[in-house]
Amino acid sequence: MKISALRLFNVKRFAGRGIAIEGIGDGVNVLCAVNEFGKSTSFEALHALFFQPHSGTPGEIQKLRPYSGGSPLVEADIQTAEGRFRLTKQYYGGRSARVTDLATGRLVAQADEAENFIAGLIRGGTAGPAGLLWVRQGVTGLEKRSRSEEDGEKEVRRSLLESVQGEVEAVTGGRRMAEIMAAAQEALSELVTPTGRPRTGGRYAAAIEERDRLEAEEGRLAGEVDALRAALDRRAAAARRLAELDGAEDRRERRQAVETAEAGFDAARAHDGKLKTAEAELKLARERKDAADRDLGAFRTALAKAKELQERLREAERRRAEASGRRRDAAAAIEKAHADAEAAEAGEQAMRGLLARLDAALKAREAAERLAGLKERLSAAEAARRALEEGEARLALVRIPAHAVDELQALEVEIAKLRAVEEAARPSVAISYQGGAAGPVTMDGIPLADGEERGYDGQAELSVPGIGTLTLRSNRPARSDDRIERAEAKRRTLLASMGVDDLAAARERQVRAERIEAELRELRGRLSLLAPEGLARLRESVAALDPAGAELLELKEDPSQVRAALAAAEESRRKAKLALREAEPLRGSADDAFVRAETALASLDAERTQVAALLGPEEARDRRAQAMADALDERGRALAAAEAHAEALRTAAVDPHSAEAALKRARSVEAAAEQEINALRETIAGLNAEIRTRSEEAVEETWRETAEALSAATARVAAFAKEVAVLQRLASALEAARSEARELYLGPVMAELRPLIGLLFDDVSITFDERTLLPQTIRRSGQEEEVDRLSGGMREQLSVLTRLAFARLLARDGRPAPVILDDALVYSDDDRIEKMFDALHRQSRDQQIIVFSCRQRAFQKLGGNVLQMTDWQP
Amino acid sequence: MEVDAPTDERRYRVSDPSGFRADPDRSTVRAGMLRFIHSSDLHLGKRFGNFSGDLPSRLREARHAAIARLAQHAQEQGAATILLAGDTFDTETPAADVRRQALAEMAHHAPIRWVLLPGNHDSLQATQLWATLKAEAPENVALAAEPRPVELAAGAALLPAPCTTRRPGRDLTEWMEGAATPEGAIRIGLAHGAIRSFSEDGVASDVIAPDRARRAGLAYLALGDWHGALEVEPRTRYSGTPEPDRFKHERPGEALLVSIAGPSALPEVTPLPMASFAWRRLDLHLLDGDDPAPALEGLLPEARHRRQTLARVAAAGRSNLAGRAALTAAIERAKPDFAFLELDDTGLATACEAGDLDGIDRAGALREAANALLAEAGDESRSAGEREIARAALARLFFYAQAVAP
Repeated sequence: MKISALRLFNVKRFAGRGIAIEGIGDGVNVLCAVNEFGKSTSFEALHALFFQPHSGTPGEIQKLRPYSGGSPLVEADIQTAEGRFRLTKQYYGGRSARVTDLATGRLVAQADEAENFIAGLIRGGTAGPAGLLWVRQGVTGLEKRSRSEEDGEKEVRRSLLESVQGEVEAVTGGRRMAEIMAAAQEALSELVTPTGRPRTGGRYAAAIEERDRLEAEEGRLAGEVDALRAALDRRAAAARRLAELDGAEDRRERRQAVETAEAGFDAARAHDGKLKTAEAELKLARERKDAADRDLGAFRTALAKAKELQERLREAERRRAEASGRRRDAAAAIEKAHADAEAAEAGEQAMRGLLARLDAALKAREAAERLAGLKERLSAAEAARRALEEGEARLALVRIPAHAVDELQALEVEIAKLRAVEEAARPSVAISYQGGAAGPVTMDGIPLADGEERGYDGQAELSVPGIGTLTLRSNRPARSDDRIERAEAKRRTLLASMGVDDLAAARERQVRAERIEAELRELRGRLSLLAPEGLARLRESVAALDPAGAELLELKEDPSQVRAALAAAEESRRKAKLALREAEPLRGSADDAFVRAETALASLDAERTQVAALLGPEEARDRRAQAMADALDERGRALAAAEAHAEALRTAAVDPHSAEAALKRARSVEAAAEQEINALRETIAGLNAEIRTRSEEAVEETWRETAEALSAATARVAAFAKEVAVLQRLASALEAARSEARELYLGPVMAELRPLIGLLFDDVSITFDERTLLPQTIRRSGQEEEVDRLSGGMREQLSVLTRLAFARLLARDGRPAPVILDDALVYSDDDRIEKMFDALHRQSRDQQIIVFSCRQRAFQKLGGNVLQMTDWQP
Repeated sequence: MEVDAPTDERRYRVSDPSGFRADPDRSTVRAGMLRFIHSSDLHLGKRFGNFSGDLPSRLREARHAAIARLAQHAQEQGAATILLAGDTFDTETPAADVRRQALAEMAHHAPIRWVLLPGNHDSLQATQLWATLKAEAPENVALAAEPRPVELAAGAALLPAPCTTRRPGRDLTEWMEGAATPEGAIRIGLAHGAIRSFSEDGVASDVIAPDRARRAGLAYLALGDWHGALEVEPRTRYSGTPEPDRFKHERPGEALLVSIAGPSALPEVTPLPMASFAWRRLDLHLLDGDDPAPALEGLLPEARHRRQTLARVAAAGRSNLAGRAALTAAIERAKPDFAFLELDDTGLATACEAGDLDGIDRAGALREAANALLAEAGDESRSAGEREIARAALARLFFYAQAVAP
C-alpha cells in the first residue's frame, strides 16, 4: 500500500477549513513545516483514518474535533495492488466511511464494509501482516515517560504497538496461543505458585493438607488401635494366666502342698526334740563315767603321793635342823663383830675430840700474833698520815702556780727588751779624752769615762772641767707609749700575787715547793704500802682480830701424836665394820635357809594332810579303791547304752531345716500365686477400663475409615500432582513453541535490521523483547546494555531503524507499507541524522516513507520529495 | 467375667453361654430336612472413608439393612437359623450403636436364630466385643465362640471354628475331624478364612484345608471371608457378603439357602438376592473411531438402578483425542445418576491423528507445541510416566484448543 494524498477538513484548529497534501510519491517524502502549521494534525488525522472507526467518538476522535465543533473529515488516496482508492471518513455529524475506486470513481464500500476494507489494508487480513508503520514525535515505544505525557500519548503509542503486535500474532499463534496459555496458566496457578509449590488455599494444597492431616490422623488412630489390640492381648494373656492360677484344682494342690510340708515340718520338729533329750542323757552318762574314772585315778595318785610325801617330809625335817644350827652360829659371830665395831668407834670418837681441841688452840695463838703485827702497821700508817698532812700544809704555803713564774720571766724579758729599745734611741754623749785632759768631764755630776757613752733625757749638763758647764738639750718629744710602765705594773702585780719580790725569789719558792711535793709523794707511797686498802680498813682488821677476852689454851699433847692415834682408831673401827659386814650376810643366808626349810616342811605337811584327807583312814583305803573301780565299770556300761540309744535316734532324724525350707517354699508358692492372682485381677481391671473406653470410641472403625479416606486423599493428591505435571508440561511446550516461533519470526527482521544498524553503529547487535517486539538490549563491544539506558538519540534511531526493518520485510513480502515518521528524530545530532537520512534513502528504493518534521534546516539535507500543504475544500 | 473362659463341657446344653438352647419345637429337622441360611462378612459399621458426601452413610445403612433382609429370607424360606460365618462386625471394637442396633434388629426377628462366628475382623482377641455381645445378646443370638460341637437342631450339630486372633496362623478347622457328635447327626462346619488363595485380605498363611468337609465328615462347611459367593466343592461354600463393599467381585451380594436331607446327602444350595447396592466394574473396550458415548451408554445399567450402583468404568483399547474427550464428558454427564461413578482410563491408549492436531492448529506455534507433545508421548526412550504426562498434556491442549474459538 502506498499513500498518494491526504486531505482533511474541520480538524482541530482547521475549523471550517481544510488542508491537502497531494502528490505523495514513492521513496522519501518530506513535509517540513514550522510548528502549528498542521503537521501533527495531519499525522493524527491520517492515524485516525486508518485506526478509528467512523462510528465511534473515542478520545482520539474527540481530540480531532475543533473547539467550535463540527464534523472532522479525513480523506486519503491510496494505491494498492488492486488499484487506487480513496478512503474518506467523517466523524460526528454525518458520520460516514467510504471507499471509492479512483480509477472508475465507483463507490467500492461504505460504512462497516469500508471499515473492513481499511482494516484489511492495515492488518492484511488473515493472510499475513501488512499495513502502516508509524513513528511519532518522541514516541519511540522504548522509553518510559512521565505520567502526564504518558496519558496524553498513550493511545497513540498503544495503537502503534498494536499494529506491530498484530503482525506477530499470525506467526506465534497469537490470541489463541495466548488464551490457551492463559487457560493453562490459570489452571496451573490455581494449583501451584509460579515456583511450582502448591498454592496456599488452592485445591492442590488443600488436598495435600487433607492427606497430611489424614496421614497424621491415621497414624494416631493406628497407634490407638495398636494400643487397644495390645491391651486386648495383654488382657487375654492375663486372663489365661489368671485362669491357670485361679483354678480350684490348682488352689487345692497348692494348699495340699502347704499342708504336707507343714506336717513334715512338725514331725521333724518332734523327732528333733527326742534326739535332743537322748543326746542330753548321753552326755550325762558320759560325764558320770568320766567322773568315776577321775575319782579312781585321783585316789590312786593320792596313794602314790602319800608315800612320796613321807620321804620328802623326812628329808625336809633334816634340812631344817641343819639350817637352824647354822643360824645360831651366824648370830653369835655377828654379835661379836658388833661389839668390836662399837668399841672401835668410841675410840675413834675420843681421839677426834682431842684433835679438835688441839686445832682450836693453835688457831687462837696464830690470831693473836697477827693482831700484834697489824697494830704495828696501823701506828706506822697513822704516823705517815700525819706527816703527809704536815707536808701538804707546808706545800700550800710555798706553792706558786707554775705558769706564773714563766709569765713573770716573760715579763722581765719584755721589760728588758723595751728598755734596750729606749736606750738605743736616747741621745748619748761619749768623750774621748786626750791625753792630758784635765779632769774628767762630769755629766750631771757623774764623770764620764773615756769612751763611755752616756745617754740622757731632755737635757744634761756636762761640766767640763775647765771649760764650764755644757748643757745638752735633746729637744726630742716625749715618748709616745707607756708599754714599759704597763709591763712593769703587771710585773708588780704578779710579784705581789706570789708574795715574792722578784723573779729569783719566785724561782727559789718554786724549788722549795717541788721538794716538799717529792716528800709528800714518798709519804704517800709508804702509807699505801702500810695500808693498801686504806686506813679505815686497816683499823677494821685490827678491830676484828682483837679477841675480846679470848683465852689462849694450853696445849699439853703433841698434835702429831694425837693425829696418829686418831688414824689408828679409825683403822680399827673400819676393820670392825668390815668384820661386821662379813658376818651379817652369813646370818642372812642362814636365816633364808632356815625359812626355806621351814616352808618346805610346812607345805609338805599340808600336802600330806590333804592326801591323807583324800585317802581316808588307812585301813579303809583298799576297800575304797575297789568300790571306786566297781562304780567305774557300772557307769561305763550305762554310757554305752545311752550312746546306742542316741545313735539310733540320730540315724532316724529328719533335718528340720529342710522340712522348714520345704514348708516355706510351699507357702511362698501359694502366696506368690495369690499375689499374682491379685495383680492379674488389677491388671485386668485396668485393661478393662482402657479397652472399654477405646471400644466405646470405636477407634478401630474410625481408623479404618481414616485409612480409606487417606488412600482416597493420596489418590487425589497424586491426581493433582499429575494435573500439575500435565499443565506444566503443556505450559512449557507452549512456551517453547512460542519462543521458537518468535525467533523464527524475528529472524528476517534481524536480517533486515542488521545492515541498517551497520550504517549507524559499529559492532552492535540487538536482542528483541518478545512482548513488545522492540529492541530490548543492545550489545556493544562485549557489553550488554538495556535499551532504556541508552541515549534518547540512540533510542529513537533504533526505533526508526526497527520500523524500517519491519517495513522492508513487508515490502520484500510483496506487501509494501508506508513508514510514517512524525518528528521522529528530535534527539539525533547532525552527523547521525545524516546517517539516518542515508538509511531512509537506502530503504526508500522500494518503500514509501513519509516524514513530517518541523526542523526545516536539518531536514533540507534529507532531500527526497518535498510535500506542500495546500488549502482544500471538500 | 470372661467370655473366652476355658472350655467347660458341663456347660454344654445345660446353660450354654453362647445362647444355644435346644428348642424342640423349631429346631428339629423337619421332614428330615435341615434348612438354614448361610451368610458372612456383613462388616457392620464399615464407614467407607474413601467416599464422600452421604454415600458412606448410605452404604453403612445398607449393611445394617442386610440383617432384616436375611431374616426376611429365612422367614420366607422356612429356615430357622442364619449362620454368619465371621466378620459380622467390621472391627474388633464396633461403635456401640452399630452393635446394639444390630442385636436389636436380630432380636426383632426372633425366633429365627442367629449364629455369630468370630472372623478375622472381629476375632476372639476382641474380648471386649465378645464379652459385651455375650452380655447383650438376645435369646435368639448365639455366639459360636468356642471350637466344640453344639446342637444346631435335633439331629444336627454345628462345629464352629472361631477365629482366635486376627491371624491365627493355623487351620482352625482341624479340630472338626476328631470332634464327636451324636450318632447320625448332620455335621455342619462353620469357619472363616482362606482356602488356597481365596483370602479377602490377601493373607494366606492360615489356609483352611479345601477338603476339610470330606475329612471331617461334614455335610456342609459354611465359610466366610471371601466376599464373593463361591462354591469350593459341593459341600464347601463361601456365601460371600450380602452387601458388597468393593469393586473386586462381579457377583451381586447374595446369601445361600442351604437344605440338607441327611448326614451324607449333598446340600441343596439356593442363592438368595441380597445386595441393595451394586458394585459394578464396567469394561469399556474402544477401538479407533468408536464413539465412546453410545458404547458407554450401552454399558451403564438402566437409569432406575443407577442410584444404587457404584460403578467403575475401566476403559481399554484405543481412542483418539476427540474420543477420549467425549468419553470424559460422557462420564461427567452420567455421574449424577450414580451413587458413584468413576472412569479408569489407564488402559486406554490414545491414538493421535493428523486431524486431531489440525483441531488444535494447522500450523504455527500451537501446532508446533502439539507436535512436540505428540513426539514425546510416543518417545520410547522416555519413561512411561513422562510419556503419560506428555499424552495428557496433548489431550489438555486439544481440550483448550476446542474451547478457544479459532
